[in-house]
Amino acid sequence: MGFKLKVEGPSTIELGTTIVTGVKFRTDIPKDSNARSTDMGSTVTITGKILTAVDGDPFDSTRQLGLWALVPAEKSDCYRKVSVEVIAASQVVRKYTYPNAFVVDYKEDYGDVEGVGTFTLIIKQKKDKMAQVAVEGGYSVS
Amino acid sequence: MGLRLKIEGNESISLSETSITKVKFGADIPHDSNARSTDLGSTVLITGKILAAVDGEAADDTSKIARWSLVPAENSDCYRKVQIDVVNASQIVRQISIPNAFVVDYEEDFTDETGAGTFNLLIKQKKDKMTGLKFEGGFSGE
Repeated sequence: MGFKLKVEGPSTIELGTTIVTGVKFRTDIPKDSNARSTDMGSTVTITGKILTAVDGDPFDSTRQLGLWALVPAEKSDCYRKVSVEVIAASQVVRKYTYPNAFVVDYKEDYGDVEGVGTFTLIIKQKKDKMAQVAVEGGYSVS
Repeated sequence: MGLRLKIEGNESISLSETSITKVKFGADIPHDSNARSTDLGSTVLITGKILAAVDGEAADDTSKIARWSLVPAENSDCYRKVQIDVVNASQIVRQISIPNAFVVDYEEDFTDETGAGTFNLLIKQKKDKMTGLKFEGGFSGE
């Protein structure tokens, strides 16, 4: 399976299939509810590789994710539009769109035995804007 | 064992034994009760695969489950009728009907190492409608 991540804000961050290794989508609802709760959120976890540019290639934009994670809450720039596509066999299996996503966790991991670093990005949709979250899928890659 | 899932609401969702991998049924009763408690609930965990469509076939219904998990509590469509069939050797081992089910947790997981994603759906019956839950089985059928 291949993944494409696009973050649109003051600058656009695009990470492709060579970088993103995993996507986890979750709808957060209190587990102790006796009937359907209005307290609902949505979280996406994205994991990937931090690659070193060789042969004069441009650097990947994972550094931009780190910078986004550090934007203070006072700036409107901390909310960005995120879309994640899961692609297999020329089909878009899923496309998640979060128009007002913010970072709740960002981790980078490096070791001396690997040639690449890894990152984990956890984002949530602003809770009062949950109705704008879109989950699509099941169509051919255009 | 073959597991089948059918969800009926504003739209109909049907997943067959090729998609569903696990079903866990539980009756939730407080463990610290000294005599039979009236506090009775029921939770069902359904695990399955998210398959990519090939050869021009229609995409599976898993994306509809993702959208169901995002239906707000204000909308009556957040409660749906769920039926789970456990089929083995031309026998329906269990047929569990949950007429007013709502989602308490939904998760999708994709990695670049597998060709299919996985989902976890945790549903409960509306607690005041527990008598509507049907727990049948032990008859022939396919």
